[in-house]
Order: sequence, then structure tokens, then C-alpha cells
Amino acid sequence: MRVANLRKTYDTAHASYVALEGVDVEIGAGEFFCLLGPSGCGKSTLLNILAGFEPATSGSVTSGGAAITRAGRERVMFFQDAGSALFPWLTVEENVRFGLRVRKVPRPAWDDIIDKYLRMVDLDRHRSKFPAQLSGGMRQRLQIARALAVEPEVLLMDEPFGALDALTRRRMHAVLLSIWQRTGKTVVFVTHDIAEAVLLADRIAMMSVGPGSTITKVFEVALPRPRDLTHASVAGLFHEIEALLDPSVPRTDERAPLAAG
Amino acid sequence: MANVDNARPAERDPPLTAPATLQTLRSWLSAGSGRGIMLSVTSLAIAFAIWQLLSTFVFNPFLIPPPVEVIRAAIPMLASGEIFSDIGISMVRVLVGFLTGSLAGIVLGALLGRIRLLHDLLDPIIELLRYLSPTAMIPIAVIWFGIGEMSKYFLIFWGTFFIVLVNTTAGVWRAPVARQRAAECLGANRLQIFLLVVVPSAVPYIITGMRVAMASSFMSIIPAEILAADSGIGYLLQKSSLLLQTNRIFVALLTICILGFVVDRLFRFFVDRVLARYMSQVGTT
Repeated sequence: MRVANLRKTYDTAHASYVALEGVDVEIGAGEFFCLLGPSGCGKSTLLNILAGFEPATSGSVTSGGAAITRAGRERVMFFQDAGSALFPWLTVEENVRFGLRVRKVPRPAWDDIIDKYLRMVDLDRHRSKFPAQLSGGMRQRLQIARALAVEPEVLLMDEPFGALDALTRRRMHAVLLSIWQRTGKTVVFVTHDIAEAVLLADRIAMMSVGPGSTITKVFEVALPRPRDLTHASVAGLFHEIEALLDPSVPRTDERAPLAAG
Repeated sequence: MANVDNARPAERDPPLTAPATLQTLRSWLSAGSGRGIMLSVTSLAIAFAIWQLLSTFVFNPFLIPPPVEVIRAAIPMLASGEIFSDIGISMVRVLVGFLTGSLAGIVLGALLGRIRLLHDLLDPIIELLRYLSPTAMIPIAVIWFGIGEMSKYFLIFWGTFFIVLVNTTAGVWRAPVARQRAAECLGANRLQIFLLVVVPSAVPYIITGMRVAMASSFMSIIPAEILAADSGIGYLLQKSSLLLQTNRIFVALLTICILGFVVDRLFRFFVDRVLARYMSQVGTT
């Protein structure tokens, strides 16, 4: 996927807001690519444009050479709020089946596909439950299975684990990495969590705060997985990014003592 | 650094039944329902006792017939089947108007929630018309449709339609964008998104609208039958009033209470049985 000189503006009755300006990036097939930036930096907007949900105002966005103009079958979006992204009136199994049905996958193939992906995310014992009966982590695993079942090339993930507790999130990282390594999908992962980016990504693109956000720096992360935040090289990268991302916060050793009041 | 750790329970080995909080709630409710029924029975018994005492010793028993008198009046009405035929006639009127009104309200409401232009065009008209209660429409309904069945169907339809319409529109409007986009990614076309995602997402709103409409149908069938009918519970009230048969009036009033209660319970039972899977989303969206 390739983004060149992308610009995105939102027009309201009174003003025009420039969300993204001059974004250039290329994401390779099979790559785990993180978009990292503070809230409101337009990283979700960029992801929505990559998904084809929103058009770019100008510039080009292509996937395999073809322009992205609408949601395409090869790119599946993965949402943070699984409660609203899943179909709550369908069981686990039926949620996965939805994509197969609307894509007109031949009926005899359904069961095998459903089995395969539910097993991959370890939900095959819960196939007749409804999303409301699942824990937060299980719902996200169901979203992964539902997305993988339609065999996309790219997974677009919008802060997918942001609402989970730390322990569950760590497990989900392991699940996602193992699936990514097994299936070779391209992953574009949006997060505001530096640790998450450092633990997961092949490359980390840092985005500046809007208006007119753009990608300011891309880090290549050539560290072996699984990564450990306490490991010196991983921690080093974490601190390097943290300092860049928020230069207004002084380093711990430079902080002035809190004044009373 | 932004590390949002919500205070949610860690993902443990998945529970085989519903989450613990749900179970506690359920056991609390079922323990409460046994107690609740006992309390309801007690409360009704006390009310009947007070009614009997007051109408015997304080008020004129002709104006407020005591429960024993009312039951005595009810027995021949039950035995001859007179009351049942009135109930049947009123119920059919309510049902026909309610079902057609709901159907029309759901269809138009879904379109209004989806097509902005249609919404903007029709909303001002709807906003004005929905203040015309079925009762206000009785005089014109009689002129348009006479005192036959059609005028009653129309009045119940009128009352139901706007309530269901407004609720359906709101429900369709609020179908989560993430869910629609998820469906789009999975390969659903616009029609599939509408029919398989947006409308099911709106079911809790539609059902709420229909329950309110059902209650309002019961309230509007009575004045409609009092003013313009020659059968039904409302007509029974009207006729008994002309003949000064207060005990028969009370039979009719009690019938309305019981009927409304029973129909609402049946409606809930139907929703729980058939539509339960669509109702669980209220908490998650």
C-alpha cells in the first residue's frame, strides 16, 4: 500500500480543518506497521482512508497499484469497541459466517473455514455463545477470527486493544503476533501506546499533532520477537520515541519538585 | 505515557455460563419474583377489602358497587359469552390497527433513518401530525369511514404509526457506524448492510416503540368505541352508562385492566422468546 502526498480536510459550515497534510508512506506486503501518535493526530483518519471509508481530499492512496476508493475486500478493519463492531444478535459462529455469506463463499466450505479460524483464536469451544456472554479479550479474538475468515491481505487495526486491561492486552499481543507470523498478513496498527508499538511493529511511523498532521519519522525496529520491554535495546527505543513524542515533558531527572497548591 | 488500564476483570478461563454479575442479578431477580408475586397478591387483596368496606359502609353502593356486586354482575356476562364477544371485537380492532400501524411505522421509519433527504422532507409534517391523538381524530374518522370497523382500524393505526415511526427512525439512525463499516469490510453491499445490520441493530428501539404503541392502542380503542361503535368494550361502557348499570361499568373497567396487563405480558413473552438475541445489545452499544 502506498500513500503519496495525502491531504485530508474536513469542511464545516464555518471553517475548514486540515486533518492530514503531506503524508507519504509505503507499507510493504506482510509488514507489521504501526501508526503512533497522541490523540487527535489523525492516525485513525489515515486508517479510515486506507480502509476506503473516507476519501482523501487530495493525493493518492493505492493498494497494489489500484486506487483505494471504497472499502475493499482485501482490507479488513478491526475496531476498538468490539461491542459495537460485532453483531450482538449473532452467535460467535454466526458472526464469522456473516462474511462468508455476504461474500458468497460456497456453502460447503463454510464449516471448515469457521472451524479453522475459531480454533486459531481459541474460541471453538464458545461457538454458540453471543458476544454479550464473552469477555473483552474474547470479543477481540472473535473480531480477529471474523476478519481472517474472509481472507483479507491487510488487517487495519484501530487501537484494537485500547479498552482491555493490561494482562489481557499482553495476551492479545501474543495472539496477534502468532497469527501474523503464521498467516503473513499485512498489519497496519494504530496506537497511542509507545510500548505496544515497540513490542509489535516492524516499523513505527510517528505522527505529529494536528492540524495538518503528518508522519514525522519512521523507526525501523529490527529487534527479534518476542520482545521484552525490560530488555535494554527495546527500552532504549521506547525512551527514544517517548522523548520525541512529547518533548514538553521533562525527563524524570530534570523535573522540578511539586510546588504546594 | 498513555497506558489506559481499565478496571475490567482480567481474562480468565472463560466462564461456561453468563458472567458472574449477570448470575447474581438473575438469582436476585428470581428470588425477588417469588416475593414479588406474594406482595402483588397481598396488595390486590387489601385493595379489594378496602373497596368492599368503603362501598358498603361509606359510599353509595349504587355509585361504587362493591366487588361482590361486580362479580355477581360479571357471572352472567361471562356465562353468556357476551363479555368475550366484546373483548374479541375490541381485540381484533386493536390488533389490526396495531399490526398495520407498526408495519407501516417500521418501514417508513427505517427509510427515514437511512435517507437523509426523505427525513428532512417528511420530518416537519410528522412532527406536527403526531400531536393529533387518535381521540382527536375520532370525529373525522367517523365521517371518513363511518362507525364500522374501518374507522377503529384507522384510529388505532394512527396512534401506533407515529410512535413506532419515531422510535424506528431513532434506532436506525443510531446503528453503530463501526458495525456498519465492519459489515462493509466483510463484503456486504449497501442493501445487505441496511437489512442485515442496520435494521437488526434498531430492534430494541422498534420493540420499545411497539410496547408504548400497544399501551396507547388500548387507551384509544375505548373512546373510539364509546363515541362511534355498536360493539366492543367501549360500547359496553357506553351502553351500561346510559342504562345506569354501574356494576356492569365496573365489569368493563376491570376487563380493560386485565386485558391490558395480559396483552403486555404476552408481548414481552413473545419478545423474550423470539427476539431475545436482538435485545441483548442494549447494554453493549
